[in-house]
Amino acid sequence: MGGFEDDEPPSKRARASSVESASLPDCFLFSKSANPLGSTMARPLPSQGKEAMVGSKGVIKKEEFVRIISKTLYSLGYEKSGAVLEEESGITLHNPMVNLFREQVIDGNWDNAVVTLNKIGLQDVNIMKSAAFLILEQKFFELLRNDNVMGAMKTLRREITPLGVNRKRVHELSTCMISCSPQQLFLGFSKLGIDSSSSRFKLLEELQKVLPPTVMVPERRLENLVEQALTVQRDACYFHNSVDGLSLYIDHHCGKDQLPSRTLQVLHAHHDEVWFVQFSNNGKYLASASNDKSAIIWEVNEDGELLLRHTLSGHQKSVMMVAWSSDDCQLLTCGQEEAIRRWDVKSGKCLHVYEHPGIGLRSCAWFRDGKQILSGLADQTFCIWDLDGKEVDCWKGQRSATTSDFAVAKDGNLIISLSRDNAILLFDRETKHERIIEEGSTITSFSLSEDGDFLLVNLVSEEIHLWNIRNDPVRVNRYNGHKHSRFVIRSCFGGSEQAFIASGSEDSQV
Amino acid sequence: MGLLFLERLEGEGVFRCRRCRVDAASKDAIISRDFYGRSGRAYLFDHVVNICLGPNEDRYLVTGLHTVNDIYCSCCQQILGWRYEKAYEQSQKYKEGKYILERARMVKDG
Repeated sequence: MGGFEDDEPPSKRARASSVESASLPDCFLFSKSANPLGSTMARPLPSQGKEAMVGSKGVIKKEEFVRIISKTLYSLGYEKSGAVLEEESGITLHNPMVNLFREQVIDGNWDNAVVTLNKIGLQDVNIMKSAAFLILEQKFFELLRNDNVMGAMKTLRREITPLGVNRKRVHELSTCMISCSPQQLFLGFSKLGIDSSSSRFKLLEELQKVLPPTVMVPERRLENLVEQALTVQRDACYFHNSVDGLSLYIDHHCGKDQLPSRTLQVLHAHHDEVWFVQFSNNGKYLASASNDKSAIIWEVNEDGELLLRHTLSGHQKSVMMVAWSSDDCQLLTCGQEEAIRRWDVKSGKCLHVYEHPGIGLRSCAWFRDGKQILSGLADQTFCIWDLDGKEVDCWKGQRSATTSDFAVAKDGNLIISLSRDNAILLFDRETKHERIIEEGSTITSFSLSEDGDFLLVNLVSEEIHLWNIRNDPVRVNRYNGHKHSRFVIRSCFGGSEQAFIASGSEDSQV
Repeated sequence: MGLLFLERLEGEGVFRCRRCRVDAASKDAIISRDFYGRSGRAYLFDHVVNICLGPNEDRYLVTGLHTVNDIYCSCCQQILGWRYEKAYEQSQKYKEGKYILERARMVKDG
């Protein structure tokens, strides 16, 4: 074969190296041309006697490890580095027949590709046939594309059909040939790509999925393994609360100190007990509701400090609940069995008062579009109001406790309410479908995750249950450890990606 | 304090705390009216609401040794009676998990 040129494809050089390994002078010449930096980095023969396993636990096969590294180098575009690694390690990414096969597929040399496929030595006949089918299908489409209908027909009849696999697809190919309009040809080809060159590379990827991974190393294998390792580290990270990405340089770990545990600020402005607090959706404000019949809007400044912005006065009873509109421009407050007031956050003015004659209101919630509000009444009725105070809808519940909670999810179509002492009703206003969460003891409060998929339920039995409500409700976890006997205790989701829950407790802990 | 979690009982014959008028038990939950407490007649109930429990205490009652918890009103914290945690004589086992409310501390509607 004479001397080798640097511009030859690396896989050809690797193959030649394998073929000529018995001839030292030729191999020496090859390695010189392959490695312009000199021959000191290259070794003409694979090292013998090294152990077959690497890694401190001895579970990684060295050959497999080197092959997926070679694959990664080629995939990243480092052709020369891949070739040097194969040469230096003496471990080829693919054996000569596989490399020949790949070249024939890329060159569109279909008949020889099928012949080479048979020589690779696959054990599974079905795999052989599936791979041959893919090759011949590509041949069929390229013949049609070149208007060689007779050639395509011959391929379909004499080569594809005798394989006896994927009959449905064979029928589609027949139909395509019979009534093939330019659009249909386009559609048929689009599966594999229009350009011959790119469609052949896609075919190679398809073949890699069909053939055993020991024959052709799968694409992105090393990346997949590394991603698995990072995912395992993150899932094992018990206090994971990190917004930064994971690093490859060190195993991932979040310490307990990542969770808030120090008092940063004490807010003094209310004159009696504070019964409810809630941050706005964008985190810029905090609303607090108090037994002193007022609510306060605090603003978070650049240093993370809370400053009093507005005191909202006007309620005749204790304020027991607040609700932020989804755009954070308005706030609802609910007086205890009294009325609901709607406030402008910027000016602190009361925009509207919602009352029901003779019956006090207990809870409030916004619809996401900000055009309707939802309230629970003391007689166990639920009402939907428009912003002007007109009642839009009403229905009856059965709860006998003096508190009730609401959540509105899925852009206002799903209303979640405490319907009985130990049951939560999920009502889809669009489909009129009702789903029930039943608990073993009385429910005191609940809260909904931001994505609307999980519900956190507080019970009088000093437990908190986590429910997945994406489809039929499924309880996925239960928590305990907090104190709960006389008062309404609330819980919420928190942390990065809402992966933690926090709960109040009657022993003055969180 | 905090926002009290209070429940209401439906129907007639609801017993309420005499001091703060919070619902405590329904007459349908009465098991027996043949009990006496520190302030006179008392009733045995199998279900009560709006109460919280004191710690376990061993007491010799007329019917023998029992482990009991005092019952306090959730709202005003007045003592209302006690709950039987454990009875040590077989003939008294039916009381376990049941509640005594003293009539003098209750007011009844209807």
